[in-house]
Amino acid sequence: MDFVAAKFSDFLTYTGFANVEWANIIMIAVGAFFIWLAIKKDFEPLLLIPIGLGIILGNIPFKAAGLEIGLYEDNSVLNIFYQGVRQGWYPPLVFLGIGAMTDFGALIANPKLMLIGAAAQFGIFGAYMIALAMGFEPNQAAGIAIIGGADGPTAIFLSSKLSPNLMGAIAVCAYSYMALVPVLQPVVMKLLTTKAQRRIKMKSPRQVSQTEKMLFPIVGLLITTFIVPSGLPLLGMLFFGNLLKESTKTTRLAKTAGSALNDIVVMLLGLTVGCSTQASEFLTLDTIKIFALGAFAFIIATASGVCFVHIMNLFLSKDNKINPLIGNAGVSAVPMAARISQNEGLKADSHNYLLMHAMGPNVAGVIGSAVAAGVLLGFLS
Amino acid sequence: METYHSKKMKKLLSILSLLAVSAAAMAQGAHDFRINEVFVLGCPKACMQSEAGDSGCVAPADARCMRPSLLKDEYGEPASWIEVENTSYSTHEIRNCFITTNKAVLDPKMPAPEREKLMSVIPAGDPRTLIKAKQRITFFVGNRNRGTLHTTCVVELKAGEENWIALYDGNAVDLLDSVTVPAMQPGQTYARLSDNTWQVCEASEATPNGPNQEYHNDKIREFKEKDPHGFAMTLMCMAVVFICLAILFLFFQGFGLLLAKIVNKVTKPVVQPVVNAGERVVEVAKQATMETKGIPMETYTAVIGLALHEYFGGTHDIESGIITIHQNLHSSWTDKSHELRQTPQHHIATPENHTSK
Repeated sequence: MDFVAAKFSDFLTYTGFANVEWANIIMIAVGAFFIWLAIKKDFEPLLLIPIGLGIILGNIPFKAAGLEIGLYEDNSVLNIFYQGVRQGWYPPLVFLGIGAMTDFGALIANPKLMLIGAAAQFGIFGAYMIALAMGFEPNQAAGIAIIGGADGPTAIFLSSKLSPNLMGAIAVCAYSYMALVPVLQPVVMKLLTTKAQRRIKMKSPRQVSQTEKMLFPIVGLLITTFIVPSGLPLLGMLFFGNLLKESTKTTRLAKTAGSALNDIVVMLLGLTVGCSTQASEFLTLDTIKIFALGAFAFIIATASGVCFVHIMNLFLSKDNKINPLIGNAGVSAVPMAARISQNEGLKADSHNYLLMHAMGPNVAGVIGSAVAAGVLLGFLS
Repeated sequence: METYHSKKMKKLLSILSLLAVSAAAMAQGAHDFRINEVFVLGCPKACMQSEAGDSGCVAPADARCMRPSLLKDEYGEPASWIEVENTSYSTHEIRNCFITTNKAVLDPKMPAPEREKLMSVIPAGDPRTLIKAKQRITFFVGNRNRGTLHTTCVVELKAGEENWIALYDGNAVDLLDSVTVPAMQPGQTYARLSDNTWQVCEASEATPNGPNQEYHNDKIREFKEKDPHGFAMTLMCMAVVFICLAILFLFFQGFGLLLAKIVNKVTKPVVQPVVNAGERVVEVAKQATMETKGIPMETYTAVIGLALHEYFGGTHDIESGIITIHQNLHSSWTDKSHELRQTPQHHIATPENHTSK
């Protein structure tokens, strides 16, 4: 009987109840909140559900007894999954899927929209300057600032290289704000545009030939990677995925990259990023600062995109004016940002469809943020 | 026959391209190894005479200067050593390379077998010879019978004298790296610094199997000092992002115009009459005469629509124009399924479809 009692009391020391701390409870509540946002409010469920459950999973208290179960314990299953984040091979795989799913036609039809995608990257560097002013080191500031690119995989890729200790907070922040794009961006867009400007109707884009679509990933790859070789993993995979799609000869591969492979990677990425936010690492003052900086980065990125369209319009003829509502799409949250341009456009004029126009800067934003990450990596690593 | 040849050709081409890729991959490796630090055991003769131990050549004075275990071999005995670094960012195998201290091998006419006699080969079969990126391996001089990390007796480092050390590739001909170590005081090492210069270091600074200098990310420090507000970084990065996307913009703007010209040239003879008709109709409409002159209004709409579409540069996707017809190899003679009908549907009699005769 004593034996049973001793063993049972020993077993009790292993349970979550015996090891729980307030910080764990707070993080589990945060995870549950993310899941609620995803299910009830439909905020990026594909990302927030894995991240939310990951946060809960990573904060289940247990006794460190070498059971190889925790994310940070060598050889545990979660640790093996986490290598994809830590070593940075999930983000390029996600980019492969993005490339295989993206139609660059809107961008090729109206190439000047690429410049909006470039302008919106000012969000990254605006946040970089603020982060430096807040006392972060240049490498940490760069990792945080990349949140402004509104690109989760890029944020994970860069922070895993430059500021691995902040990666969990940066990743959760990046994905949270991506989910909050429909809340953040419309306010900035309305503030920076007049009603008349919101009603500008753009000329319908020309149709793009398959030759141009096939040429785009090859030319894009050569130009961007020759200038920024440090962006090779992201840009290489993005354009590779797109070539699979546009070559028309590898439809099966493109389909796999854009669906099954991408889904698997997103699941593992979301789950392990969520798991990495263990209370001891996550509930710090730095995390609050990162969230504040992330919001700044998104606002600056949106504002700079919209303002850049105003500047472009100064040089364009009356018939070729660009609706400034597509400026927000310069961030690389595809296709959410473009969808917001469409919705805001329809609110101003129920016959003004901006989706296809907004897709141009939106996909340019993907390239732009990957280039920006590559440049930062080149300068600071 | 042609198909057979083209298939064979394709196969040959793919094998050749695979070989080319593999050859390129294999060509790298050994050339990334370099001598990184050298320690010559020994002390001036006076010191040796007064303090020499049982082993004769071992100098206790030298041993006293040493940090425990750092300058000793795996048996705990002091020994001269040569540290080799893999300078690349990938893992490479150093087995079968050669270490020598005999300058006679510099004679280019000396045949490889003769060279090998003057060199100590790094044996295969030890996992420690697989060196990861930016990692180092230390070879102790002499006493090969003590294991892979010990050289044969042909390698000699003489205390208080200048020593020449060379690392050769597996063919014993290609020199990978060499260094002339000056005469040093007991307990000193000769180490390569990050700027590729060499420096005599004290024993307390010796770093066998470790980097010779503490690693600092100078880039981060430089940015922190010279660009504390991030303006320079912002300016440079934004310029690079704009340049990348501006070049893409210019390329596709130009290419799009070129392609439009080509497409217009090809399609002009076909669409021109339609465009002309459309323009005439637009002119008529401009005259504000709402008469249709006997032509149905739908025709006007269609022609105006098409004309405007062409006028505004609308081009159709270029189709391949190839229709593939798969030949059915089977007929009713060879495949019975051709004779079968689909499962007949049950005809349910309802008041609507039931008709009594």
